[in-house]
Amino acid sequence: MEQEKSGRGVGRRDLLKLSAVAGAALAGASLTGSRTAAAAEELSLKGKRIAISATGTDHFFDLQAYNAQIEEVKRLGGEPIAVDAGRNDGKLVSQLQTLIAQKPDAIVQILGTLSVIDPWLKKARDAGIPVLTVDVGSTNSINNTTSDNWGIGKDLALQLVSDIGGEGNIVVFNGFYGVTPCAIRYDQLVNVVKYFPKVKILEPELRDVIPNTVQDAFTQITALLNKYPEKGSIKAIWSAWDIPQLGATQAVAAAGRTEIRTYGVDGSPEVLQLVADPNSPAGADVAQQPAEIGRTAIQNVARLLAGQTLPRETYVPALLANKANVNEVSKKLGIG
Amino acid sequence: MSVDIQLAPVIHFEPGKIGGDTTRSGHLAATALRAGSLIAFVAILVVFSATAPYFLSVGNIGNVLGQSAISGVLAIGLTVVLIAGGSNVVTGGIDLSLAANMGLSAAVYATVAQLGYGDATAVAAALLTGGLIGAVNAFAVVGAGIVPLLATLAVMNIVAGLELVLTQNTVIPASTPLLTALSSSGPFGIPALAYVLLAFTLIAAAIVQYTPTGLRLYAVGEFPDAARAAGLPVRRLLAGAFVASGLCGGFAGILSVSNLSGSTTGSGEMLLPVVVTALLGSVFSRRLVPTVIGTLLSTLFVGFLVNGFQLLNISSVLVSGVQGLLILLVVSATTLLRRQEA
Repeated sequence: MEQEKSGRGVGRRDLLKLSAVAGAALAGASLTGSRTAAAAEELSLKGKRIAISATGTDHFFDLQAYNAQIEEVKRLGGEPIAVDAGRNDGKLVSQLQTLIAQKPDAIVQILGTLSVIDPWLKKARDAGIPVLTVDVGSTNSINNTTSDNWGIGKDLALQLVSDIGGEGNIVVFNGFYGVTPCAIRYDQLVNVVKYFPKVKILEPELRDVIPNTVQDAFTQITALLNKYPEKGSIKAIWSAWDIPQLGATQAVAAAGRTEIRTYGVDGSPEVLQLVADPNSPAGADVAQQPAEIGRTAIQNVARLLAGQTLPRETYVPALLANKANVNEVSKKLGIG
Repeated sequence: MSVDIQLAPVIHFEPGKIGGDTTRSGHLAATALRAGSLIAFVAILVVFSATAPYFLSVGNIGNVLGQSAISGVLAIGLTVVLIAGGSNVVTGGIDLSLAANMGLSAAVYATVAQLGYGDATAVAAALLTGGLIGAVNAFAVVGAGIVPLLATLAVMNIVAGLELVLTQNTVIPASTPLLTALSSSGPFGIPALAYVLLAFTLIAAAIVQYTPTGLRLYAVGEFPDAARAAGLPVRRLLAGAFVASGLCGGFAGILSVSNLSGSTTGSGEMLLPVVVTALLGSVFSRRLVPTVIGTLLSTLFVGFLVNGFQLLNISSVLVSGVQGLLILLVVSATTLLRRQEA
């Protein structure tokens, strides 16, 4: 646990440097890497059956986390029982029921609607099976491994403010304040901007939507650029995830307003590609590390079964990809 | 009455008209298919029992029964329509709105419960929703004379749209005493839903297989002209079958709310597995026709298959392939047999 904390601290501090100085990326990478290796030496799942229950594997995030978990269980000498519900809640519940009957040494649940899975996580707990989660907080889970959304929000905001030289108007997509990670990221932006009096968030804020996120962002930004036709009247566009950023970036490029930079979160491969393009307005994208999150969750299982106490939440640092370090980050994420 | 119009088994009916050889081979093939399907079922159970840990435990069998409850109730509802509408896959009886019906009924139940009404009101609302959908189907098929395949497809889209409007495509959590009771375990640690499935099957089988009404349903489906000539209310029976199927959708909706602690999206995905299950049910019946017990057996067959695959740690990716293969086998086998009879 101590190790976990110090590792996290170093990672975060490194990320700060990373957003300012591109060269720091390498140091951050090697530090995180060495932590994993050091932790692995003492961990073992020999003879243990570890259930991995995924809500689905059709998104980049869950596919990466799922596969990394299976590999990590095998690497530590355990036997994975991996089931994928294909984003069907009925199937998810049936699989959890059967998993409980299989009496594995632990169950790791990746994502899922809390009200649907929680009664069955409770039944697993009642049956004496330890439950851990990835990216879904539950009172029935011993430990939840997830990204540090406070860190994500702060890093992205600092990068944005630094890129626009600490002054100018920024456009914000704030359609999903009801989703906790999005709310945290938005609050962090507001916290940072508060100390830069010349930076102004334009009112009214925009609302990003699902589905047709890209098209809708494109339309909204195109309209807004017509409203603010003067170059320099808008410095940056911010969104809590990177699919609206994709549409916004396309709109900015189409309007020839390449002085504007766009910012988002998630590390979708297509957005990272835009960040890597020196002519694209995409400024930065904070990428979560789904594979690392998956591995960390399994290492937490091993720690738990070895008798250690786990923290409520384990945060895996996210990687901020900007124009300077995006290739580094993509390589680390195993994209391109 | 029931004696008058009793359907002699189709296969026994023909001998006089057709040469003995064809009939005997058809009969043999039917017996082989029937016995073969049961042998396959038993063989799969034996293999899983021998190889998959926990498979033969009471808890696991109870789990499979409980997990099969929702699809079982839906498939039995569809079976009633298959019986009354005839077994022709294209022009015969089919109810494609069943899964969407379950989704909307579940959403109605969860919404009503969340508004603070009691279980009785919520149950009534869900069953009413299901029954209404069934009535619309009945009107479209019997009143307007649209082929069931198209009529229920259209109704399916309407119902799915209504569910989207009601839920805004979100999860509506629900918790009531009835839901808690349904999602808990009954005697022997077996899920309450397992008992619900068994009780529902017994009641449905009693009505469909052992009452004059049930027999008339078969008559209407197999020989509509003869049924009409015998003075049976063909249209009313067919309409009744669709309403019964709709009620099954409403009932399955209630079970689904209890299983998922609310109403969730994606109920439409149940449709194809339910159609597969109901069609597959024919091979578990004595005369290769849709029956309630046959449908229960095929529901459990699919349930045990999925369960065994998970216990054996085999990728669930294979299961849908196996299901597709089974339905292809069943449909081609029954089609071939029927052609031989004709």
